Amino acid sequence: MTVIAAATAASTLAACGGSDDGGGGDGGGGGGDASANEASDIGITEDSIKLGAHFPLTGVAAPGYSEIPTGSQAYYECLNNEGGVNGRTIDYIYRDDAYNPTNTSQVVNQLVLEDEVFAIVGGLGTPTHSAVLDFLNSEGVPDLFVSSGSLLWGEDPETNPYTFGWQTDYESEGKIIGQYIADNFPDAKVGLFLQDDDFGEDGEAGIREYIDDQIVAAERYTPGNTNVGPQIAALQAAGADFVVGFNVPSYTALSQLTALQLGYDPQWFYSNVGSDPTLVGSLLNNFSQGQVSDASLLDGALTTDYLPTVDEPDNPWVQEFQRIWDECGGEGELTNYRIYGMAQAYTTVQALQAAGQNPTRDGLVEAIEIAGGDWEGPVLAPFRYSEDSHMGTAGMSISRVTGDTTEEVEPVQLTDIGGAEIEPFDGEMAEVPENGIPNEESVID
Amino acid sequence: MQYFVNVTLTGLTEGMVYSAFALALVLIWRSTRIVNFAQGSMAAATTFIALALIQAGQSYWVALVVALLSGLVLGAIVERVVIRPVEGGPELNAVIVTLGLFVAIQAAIAIVFGSAFQSFPTPFGLEGFQVGDDRIALTPNSVWVIAAVLVTMALLVVLFRFTRIGLAMRASAFGQEVARLLGVRVGRMLTLGWALAAVVGSLAGLLIAGGEFVYPAYMDSLIVFGFVAAVLGGLDSPIGAIVGGLILGLALSYVSGYVERGSALVNVAALVILMVVLLVRPGGLFASSTARRA
Repeated sequence: MTVIAAATAASTLAACGGSDDGGGGDGGGGGGDASANEASDIGITEDSIKLGAHFPLTGVAAPGYSEIPTGSQAYYECLNNEGGVNGRTIDYIYRDDAYNPTNTSQVVNQLVLEDEVFAIVGGLGTPTHSAVLDFLNSEGVPDLFVSSGSLLWGEDPETNPYTFGWQTDYESEGKIIGQYIADNFPDAKVGLFLQDDDFGEDGEAGIREYIDDQIVAAERYTPGNTNVGPQIAALQAAGADFVVGFNVPSYTALSQLTALQLGYDPQWFYSNVGSDPTLVGSLLNNFSQGQVSDASLLDGALTTDYLPTVDEPDNPWVQEFQRIWDECGGEGELTNYRIYGMAQAYTTVQALQAAGQNPTRDGLVEAIEIAGGDWEGPVLAPFRYSEDSHMGTAGMSISRVTGDTTEEVEPVQLTDIGGAEIEPFDGEMAEVPENGIPNEESVID
Repeated sequence: MQYFVNVTLTGLTEGMVYSAFALALVLIWRSTRIVNFAQGSMAAATTFIALALIQAGQSYWVALVVALLSGLVLGAIVERVVIRPVEGGPELNAVIVTLGLFVAIQAAIAIVFGSAFQSFPTPFGLEGFQVGDDRIALTPNSVWVIAAVLVTMALLVVLFRFTRIGLAMRASAFGQEVARLLGVRVGRMLTLGWALAAVVGSLAGLLIAGGEFVYPAYMDSLIVFGFVAAVLGGLDSPIGAIVGGLILGLALSYVSGYVERGSALVNVAALVILMVVLLVRPGGLFASSTARRA
């Protein structure tokens, strides 16, 4: 290890000295001087960093979501082949919580107390991760980039100083969807199909800021109750000709099946979480023998994006992720969920680089607050990280599903929670760094 | 009005599915006096066998027949290997064993077939029938479900009421000693009861899965509703199981459709319905007599 690290030694310490924001310094990157590395905190050794995560690998929420950690894993593997972060390889452990909060508490306990991870990264789900929020913050374990768009992770850094959101929150998403409908479908009678928890509530709050008077019905389903017949029938009875769904992918499939049964054919708009055409298509696939054709059910539906997707093979980030998946991934194809996992791992590496040669848990949090707002990468919109906000990316684009692909109908819009306005994003797509590995400078002494 | 019709039809179809499951519970109760908690995962196991066949290119009907046959075998094996050794001990032992079996079979399914979410095909269409200008929430597939459940119920009634073997099964369940003295081969009857119940359970599993998503635990919520339906009907009567299932299906659909945030209240409503019925008629709606114990 020392030999490899010495051969690729980069002038990390020198780079600490001065520079402006992100972009192209010659800092952390591919190597580091392992000889100056110390076991600076729990989960950090001279040549490794241990990270933990919880995901639903089995159960109702597993389709799609179980692929996220495989994407992250592939990214870390390729990163480790290039020398890791400052000469330390990433040791990534993810455990199954089956989307059950009781299990989440148990596996996170295990990760923190037995595996002794440096940080929890990308833990998935609002109900699940809520169960460990207090524990992680009271233990002082960095709780980075939760895989959920709830406001819980970022709106109150004073209460939860160690937790950071990552993706665009549901309220901001609702606002952007609401404004799009107000501008483009001013006469539509809008029905809402909502998961009966924070996810649906935040989305509804955002969307109502813009089109409260257009909404004719708001129907809620409880995850686990797979009979959504009454809810879809109620939307139909209310005369909604435009339905916005804040629901998970399996309920996208269920709502489509039920609508088919009822002969109900509104314009559908699924929020990002529930809209993956490949996954929904594969869920509906078997029914083709019962005269339902697969993904075409979603044809014409609208959705939102905060990351590039597999159906953009010309996007340089997608090309790079494809290379990483081919070289370091496991079985199966590159999917949007794996891209999500890789993009999240990319941000994690940015944070670790910014935390310096010998990162500490508190230093990591400080680094994200100082530098995170300037990081660029595969995400379409900038992060909102600062001392006052731990919210993730600030915006989304809107696209339409056509067959197996999507086409953009509105470029990236930025907003924030509370009364913030919506503005078009004027930045450009970030360039892909060499080997897909970011190159942030340390912002910690 | 159309909304009311659709909520009602949704409830009827769901209710039939609960009925199918309740029928299997009633059958095993009638023939062995054991409440079988493993019924759900046994049905899930045979459903996954059917799905594997369909994915390998076989027709739905071939898969259905194979699933029913494997249900028959599975039921017989479970009775002979797992239940027989604990029979004759305290009644609770066998029940607890079925609980353990429930978990074990579910785990075995996940090992053999994986725990992915998959859609299960239907032999008939999923688009509702056209009535006038509207489509209603009754599909060719729901007609198939309803027909299959009613035919099964009729067969069970015939079996228990009009055949010697049905009589022998009931006798074995009620009083093993007496039945044995009268020349009934009690051991065989118990095995047969389990096997038949598992066949009906397999059918229920397939009917429930059609047009829905399956994964190893997909029967979990239905186990609860199936039990409620069976107890509503008196746990002893095939017709009671059907009526119990329909009442439950309709009531839950109205709760989900007409109560604010009804979807979340469905499980609570099921308990309330059960409580009310048991307070009014402790033996269930169709209890034929006060409980006779062997």
